Amino acid sequence: MNERIARTLTAREGPMTSELVLHPGGFGLGSVPARLTPEGTAQSVCGFCSTGCSLTVHLDHTGQAINLTPNPQYPVNLGMACPKGWEALTPLGAPDRGRSPLLRNKITGQMEAVSWSKALDTFVNRLKDVQSRHGQHAVAVLSTGQITTEEMALLGALTKFGMGLIHLDSNTRQCMATSHVAYRQSFGFDAPPYTYADFEESDALIFIGSNPCIAHPIMWQRVMRNPHNPDIVVIDPRVTETAMAATLHVPLRPKSDLVLLYGLARGLLDRGAVDKAFVEAHTNRFDEFRTFLADFPYERILRDTALSSATFDRLTEIVATRKRVSFWWTMGVNQGHESTRTAQAIINLALMTGNIGRPGTGANSITGQCNAMGSRLFGNASSLMGGYDFASASHRAHVARILGIPPDLIPTFKSWAYDEIIDGIDHGKIRALWVIATNTAHSWINQSRFAALREKLDFLVVQDMYPTTETARLADLFLPAAGWGEKDGVLINSERRLGVIRKVSRAPGESLSDFSIFKLIAERWGCGYLFTRWKSPEATFGILGELSRGQPCDFSGIKGYDHIESARGIQWPYASGSANAAIGHERRLFSDGQFYTADGRAVFHFDAPRPMPEPPDYDYPFLLLTGRGSSSQWHTGSRTDKSEVLRRLAPTALYVEINPKDAMGLNLENNDTVTVRSRRGTAVAFVVITPNIQSGQLFMPMHFAHVNRLTHPSFDPHSRQPCYKACAVRIDRAPTGLDEADSSF
Amino acid sequence: MRPDIEASPKTGSLSGFLAELLAEQRVLDTPVSRFSRAHDMQAPDGSVTRFSELIPLSQPDVDEQYAFQVDLDSCTGCKACVAGCHALNGLDEDETWRDVGLLVSDDAAHPFQQTITTACHHCADPACLNGCPVLAYEKDPVTGIVRHLDDQCIGCQYCVLKCPYDVPKYSERLGIVRKCDMCHGRLTVGEAPACAQACPTRAISIVKIPVIRRNGDPIGTPSTFLPCAPDPAITQPTTRYVTSKPFPSSLRRADANALTVQCAHTPLAAMLVLTQLGIGLQVASSVAITREFTATSIATTGYTLFVAGLVASVAHLGQPLRAWRIFLNLRRSWLSREAVVFGVVMVVSGSHLAATWGILPIAPLLANGSLIVLGTAAIACSAMIYVDTQRQFWSPAWTFGKFLSTAAISAMSVLHPLAASGALLMKLAAEGTHLLPSNRPESPMSLSARLLRGPLLTTFLVRIGLGFAAAVLLATDNLRTGFALFAIGEFVERTFFFRAVSAPGMPGLPKR
Repeated sequence: MNERIARTLTAREGPMTSELVLHPGGFGLGSVPARLTPEGTAQSVCGFCSTGCSLTVHLDHTGQAINLTPNPQYPVNLGMACPKGWEALTPLGAPDRGRSPLLRNKITGQMEAVSWSKALDTFVNRLKDVQSRHGQHAVAVLSTGQITTEEMALLGALTKFGMGLIHLDSNTRQCMATSHVAYRQSFGFDAPPYTYADFEESDALIFIGSNPCIAHPIMWQRVMRNPHNPDIVVIDPRVTETAMAATLHVPLRPKSDLVLLYGLARGLLDRGAVDKAFVEAHTNRFDEFRTFLADFPYERILRDTALSSATFDRLTEIVATRKRVSFWWTMGVNQGHESTRTAQAIINLALMTGNIGRPGTGANSITGQCNAMGSRLFGNASSLMGGYDFASASHRAHVARILGIPPDLIPTFKSWAYDEIIDGIDHGKIRALWVIATNTAHSWINQSRFAALREKLDFLVVQDMYPTTETARLADLFLPAAGWGEKDGVLINSERRLGVIRKVSRAPGESLSDFSIFKLIAERWGCGYLFTRWKSPEATFGILGELSRGQPCDFSGIKGYDHIESARGIQWPYASGSANAAIGHERRLFSDGQFYTADGRAVFHFDAPRPMPEPPDYDYPFLLLTGRGSSSQWHTGSRTDKSEVLRRLAPTALYVEINPKDAMGLNLENNDTVTVRSRRGTAVAFVVITPNIQSGQLFMPMHFAHVNRLTHPSFDPHSRQPCYKACAVRIDRAPTGLDEADSSF
Repeated sequence: MRPDIEASPKTGSLSGFLAELLAEQRVLDTPVSRFSRAHDMQAPDGSVTRFSELIPLSQPDVDEQYAFQVDLDSCTGCKACVAGCHALNGLDEDETWRDVGLLVSDDAAHPFQQTITTACHHCADPACLNGCPVLAYEKDPVTGIVRHLDDQCIGCQYCVLKCPYDVPKYSERLGIVRKCDMCHGRLTVGEAPACAQACPTRAISIVKIPVIRRNGDPIGTPSTFLPCAPDPAITQPTTRYVTSKPFPSSLRRADANALTVQCAHTPLAAMLVLTQLGIGLQVASSVAITREFTATSIATTGYTLFVAGLVASVAHLGQPLRAWRIFLNLRRSWLSREAVVFGVVMVVSGSHLAATWGILPIAPLLANGSLIVLGTAAIACSAMIYVDTQRQFWSPAWTFGKFLSTAAISAMSVLHPLAASGALLMKLAAEGTHLLPSNRPESPMSLSARLLRGPLLTTFLVRIGLGFAAAVLLATDNLRTGFALFAIGEFVERTFFFRAVSAPGMPGLPKR
């Protein structure tokens, strides 16, 4: 009786309680929500950053994704994912997904839904019209590091071999162009030499312009698993999350990194910490480099970098004395006005100390986007697909033979870089632009110029998952693309590992994979016959394998997607005949000291440092640094802003970090609204006072739309990569009333 | 070259190709075809990954309970714990049980930042449990996990106000709150909680901690908790934040200066004002003969207002049909006590009203004076609901003062309008002091002042204007209009009673 009363009074069970009940997931999974118990699973690598985590996607009985968990069996992520990975399915269901092509109505100015055949007619007729009036090369393409390798290759082949275009560049210019050029010049091929196990095997890890704690948290996991109690050095002007976790923070003055790295080389030289045997056997130009270093005496280093002698000495000692030193760099290096030489200064350090080719060593560029590495090999932008040279007749003939196309279809010179395409629009040379899976109107340096240049374009096509990106809103024609999770293909991660993405979700409306869109355009353009062998992504992957044969990136031994999946990703090189078992899950390059140059030797490259392009002055007294603000935001937020969970993990309004001394000088308090002004534009932000930014500097996260109104358009001369990390600004209290309008994403 | 398609249109073949691609885009592999691949990817021994090294090997002893332990030295701000908890527990798109915040330094010589991950602290003395009127919270006698009974919850959200750590989250979809249960279902099968599983640096684990008990009830844990977090003395949170590095002396929550306007709880504001006005009028009608109104009309108006207030209170509930259990926690919850006393007031004042109407042939149930006692008790219960949250803006003086004065002025307005006018002016003057800055810039009262001077200024001025007009009208014997304006003014005051409160919580992220 008492029990019955208790049961009446206390509802321990019922529909709401059942909602949260857990159930064994099966398929090697732990407990999962009972109502989301999978009927099957699929493995797919993540489509945000270059770490390349494998996600186990949980499927219902129709094969539709209902949830996901990180894959514990994958050698990259060991069962972990960052918040973006956990939320990877959410952006697919966003209400603002494109569901059909949209065409701008010339009279109303509004975008209107049209059929695919109308869209294709318009695409082909307008672009051919521009080509007939302004020349074949007046149509340019801005592509991305976010689509599959097969799609990049098809786009590159379609546009350059089929449509007769020359100018195709990609947003990887904004993140990885520097590493690409630096490696190519120094090693003879764009070949990041490391494997993630190196994070665990180093005695000392030197992070330069890199904040893996939030930019690559799953790589940081590997650092934390390092059992050797390593020295962790962070070279960064800011006290980042990673600097907080480091054993030595080197808070150098912004853009003094090249001086510091040369000074470090000089310090190693002076200490006799050079691996002479390695240098003599495997490198060129070291003697010239040694002479060059005479210009970097101790006093200059301390003066230019504003470091204490104790900090600099400690850094030198660590690199000189540790047996396994690995160097890791990211955007702090790549996005600089002399970034290629800076990256090569890091490579030089690894070469001169013999810290390459052995476990726990290397000059290691941590890549940005999920398929920047695919873009670097097969984007067909500055190098002919497969790592070949447009200028070489034999290379063109080789590629044409593999693709089964006439060699004269292959252009003989490379594309303009991104900034040159933008200039081309300004000069009237580029009259139509096709933008694919990137958000130029948000992310391009000095973004206001792009919006203004839009008026000079006769036709702008944007192909994206969302017609709502800043760039898509400017388009004449919008083509709705299926995204990650809605198509198959291969991505290549930072450590050269090929991984497969799988179609686990139905794309909304009439949206199509980029691969299908390219195929349709090829047919409608009239060049579809060139691509009859490119039947499917997997068939295309086979062609790419053929292209790679004999190259450093040779993966012709890979049999197909299932092979990659069952091998838990495959690092290149993987030539035919490679035995999977013998070759192992974690492989690094150059263990034999043989590089990809003609004579097999790595090359020391160096140049005198140059002053930053726009130093602070009387009118604009602060130096603005930009960068990643949190692990939950991806670039311009076109996907991550769709997840309420991810939105909660970072400030939702633009903020600016300022040192307490500067804040006091300007009489600013936390949460005050300010305008940050450069010579190019203005952004409204709220104040975050923190000593983690040095006096005289400001930091703003790049994910907010107005930050790139401020940035200064300067470029590394070798890689043409924009310098996002240093421009002169001033900061003023905002007039009241500005805060609401301008603060959102 | 092949002839151009434009030259010899093959639209038929193109549209066929298009149809083929669109159809193909919709086709997914079924799980059956996936199964072999998924099977290949499993651990070689077919085992399940449970991350059981992150949880204790055995259940807590009698003087122990489970607790989250966060190794701050390992937590580097990736925030995967929040997303992992969300996915592995199948939460709604806008629902998170774990949150992250940031502690920073104000000292230019001591740069510092530390991400703080936080979920339910499974307190030794849980405020949610103590406040819940329907006993929808239970503290597991073995594990110490504070569990929420979702089908018991009536959606009153009192736990949201009671918890100093902003843990229970209200779901509009369900009309109830939900919260972290330390993945007790996972712990039962030897699996680590979702957040612990999801942490790439293994910063979150489950540990056993000692609990001090008195007469079997846990009353406290020997814990230092976390700087810049709400006082652990209130609820004895059990989460252990451990670090080998000292915190800088100038530590600050990154959201310390953020101004957040809290929910207005309109039905609650209406309920509080209506019940207090009603009680005031009924008391007035029971103790004195008024000048121009009959006792019957006053009592009727008062009773109507009072009942309207009770109706409004039901409108506040997410699950009103479950509200019959509201008396269950008389032992601890002021909300249960309020409900019961309100019930008594309704019956007593109802019989009083019936007597004044002559419906009841018998004399009122109790002497007229009893309404004063019961009404005061009811209002005191209402006040204690808020006082018990230990928020400064809802201090005993302010809360009792505001609530009782509403009733008192209501009564005086029909007994002695001039006195009512004076009292109202004094009340307005007292409320005006809310605007004065406090000495400590980040104190809760200072935040309330900044809210009232900032985003709530218009509301505040409307309240003062209405109150002043009402005072003038009452003083000039325009009693009906005066009372109406007074009532509306009190309602506006009661909305910012809710909206301007500084709600405690764990450190948050920088926030505008």
